[in-house]
Amino acid sequence: MNADLKGFLPVDAVVVDGRPGLQWMDMSGVSLAEPLFQQTVERLRADDRRELFTEFDVLLQLEKELDSVQPTGFIFHSSRCGSTLVSNACRAINNSIVLSEANAIDKLIVRFITDPGDIKTSLYSVFLRGVVHALAQRRTGNEEHLFVKFGCCSFAQVEQIKRIWPNVPWLFLYRDPVETIVSNLKDVPPWLLDNDRRVLASIAGTSPAEVAEMSLEELCARTIGSLFSTAHRLANDGQLLLNYKQLSVPVISRLLRFFKVSPSATELETIEHGSQIYSKEASRKRTFVADADAKQKFASEAARKAAATWASEPYQLLEQKRLEMNLMKSGEQS
Amino acid sequence: MSATTLSPGKHVVATDFDGGEGILVDLNTKKYYQLNETAMIVWKGLEKGKTMGEIAADITSSYEVALDKARVSVERIVDNFQTYKLLTAK
Repeated sequence: MNADLKGFLPVDAVVVDGRPGLQWMDMSGVSLAEPLFQQTVERLRADDRRELFTEFDVLLQLEKELDSVQPTGFIFHSSRCGSTLVSNACRAINNSIVLSEANAIDKLIVRFITDPGDIKTSLYSVFLRGVVHALAQRRTGNEEHLFVKFGCCSFAQVEQIKRIWPNVPWLFLYRDPVETIVSNLKDVPPWLLDNDRRVLASIAGTSPAEVAEMSLEELCARTIGSLFSTAHRLANDGQLLLNYKQLSVPVISRLLRFFKVSPSATELETIEHGSQIYSKEASRKRTFVADADAKQKFASEAARKAAATWASEPYQLLEQKRLEMNLMKSGEQS
Repeated sequence: MSATTLSPGKHVVATDFDGGEGILVDLNTKKYYQLNETAMIVWKGLEKGKTMGEIAADITSSYEVALDKARVSVERIVDNFQTYKLLTAK
């Protein structure tokens, strides 16, 4: 393979001197152990790991050279709804690679919105396939499964993603809109503060100028409402809808089987242990505390109003569809 | 110049996309080219060292088209590849 990139993984999609491309980091001997891919990158940056920039075309060459794992399952979500718990569970499976909200993936997907056009869409699709291929390279030789958890906004482009990987099963995980809004406002995530307002404008069905004037409550509600509608429109027997309130070890075990992976007893024990810890913390020491009731109780009037106006109806429709699909019903716990 | 003496340039990378279509990237110019299914068949034929006649025959086995018309299409596509300096002489 390209000698300069041996041991390197693409860690970001960037523009350098007007040239769009990828930032690569030497990740030799490093496992992607943190809950989120960028947490691993930040840990390594503290060690002064070597980094370099290439343009996207290198991906096409690497795709022919690298031995990589094909995707096992995709995890989409509507933000703050347990998707990191699910991706952590996937990481508990032996010989698995989990790419959890990797910048290089999600930023390429954003280009479907910010840089549209038939040829560009094809080109970015090829690059997206290439960047996943590069990230999924077999570094120990034993890797068998590849799970990709996308950033929440990437679900808006699920149809483009399906064009690239039409046969990969996917999950859409979601949560009560009031609880989702409360969580996002308590600790505002980067996607909600994105300066390039074209992305949220596209998802929310409005203009960048309107997004700039919108309250965070409304912006969050309109975004998740749109994601719920997309899931409602596209989910069928090849996909899985999962509500945060269903999450439990038996349900996660069923989810893994939906991805055609059979967890062993030891792996289920690891998943059980992991489910008791706050999922996004890299140190894995903070205990998870269920907070759905507290989020409902302390929701502001603005959050409730935004949820009712923009997200509650698509949420109810999605819940109805989930019940109709009934794939996970027997796994629900009362 | 005969097509039998032409082959894809080492500075060009091709990749399949979307069930038959493809993308070429010229690593020298950093230009990208989107190929339709027919152009991709021609490119892959050239990669395998086939003549234009052989590639035209391949096309007639996949599409309801006469050999002479397929050959005209192949020649036009190869001309385009040459115009953009995507081929090299063996």
